[in-house]
Amino acid sequence: MAMQFTDTEKAILRRVQGDLPDSATPFADIARDTGATEEQVLALVERLKDCGAIRRFGATLRHQKAGYAHNAMVAWRLPEGTDTEAVGRIMAARPEISHCYIRRTTPEWTYQLYTMIHGQNPGDHARVVAELSAATGLEDYAVLESVRELKKTSMKYF
Amino acid sequence: MDAIDRRILDVIQSGFPLAARPYAELGRDLGLTEAEVLARVRALKESGVIRRIGANFQSAHLGWHSTLCAAKVPPEGLDDFVATVNAHPGVTHNYLRDHEFNVWFAFIGEDPETVQRALADISAATGVDVLYLPATRLFKIKVDFAMQGAGGEQ
Repeated sequence: MAMQFTDTEKAILRRVQGDLPDSATPFADIARDTGATEEQVLALVERLKDCGAIRRFGATLRHQKAGYAHNAMVAWRLPEGTDTEAVGRIMAARPEISHCYIRRTTPEWTYQLYTMIHGQNPGDHARVVAELSAATGLEDYAVLESVRELKKTSMKYF
Repeated sequence: MDAIDRRILDVIQSGFPLAARPYAELGRDLGLTEAEVLARVRALKESGVIRRIGANFQSAHLGWHSTLCAAKVPPEGLDDFVATVNAHPGVTHNYLRDHEFNVWFAFIGEDPETVQRALADISAATGVDVLYLPATRLFKIKVDFAMQGAGGEQ
């Protein structure tokens, strides 16, 4: 089930799951530190990107500092008989939405569909929510505005 | 942050060159020298716009399990609950939100059993129930932020 890696590959992945060395030749630097060649480092990253294990390789921004200061998670209840695929497509098509998932419910929390909405101005997400509600016919939703970031980090898998 | 910074950010969020001299490649496309691109990226890191540059893994593809979790935490227990949750290395994001269910966090672990055991431990230690809300269907995950023609003028 889990992908298997050699010790050298794991050493490389430990580096690329963090921040690249601050250098004009970051991959050569990682190769030198891990006993690999630059070609091996680049080939491993390419391979994992091609197979989807690496979803994205690049810069992760602090969205507040990048001008996207206002965000809200909105959880939507899907009434019996909802065309989930159609609703998901409408939601996913919006550029303001970064994440859109169906999740398991519990007796205490019965909303199924989740959207993460980012905006540049206060009120942006309220406008998006109103438009999505009109476009999908979904009327029962919970807006969960972020009050404070309590933790944000990248997972260390290796 | 100026127009050139925004162009750099639009490229390197998903298209960081996998090449021996990535900043030289970026410079070729942007009409800048390698040194200019590297200096701009450094400045964007120092000002906090760029958190890191590297790989973002899809946990399920590596065989790991991830879930969203929620809890209804009374104000007097908040600090203790957050400290207990954040102590887990598998907790990658945690937000205080304006709702009766006020604490929402993402938890990644090696398999569902490990994650659920950790959540049970958190509940036992804090006396707060934790909702386990794993995804069953993914419609979109796209975390690039368009920078050109966008805000971010600070």
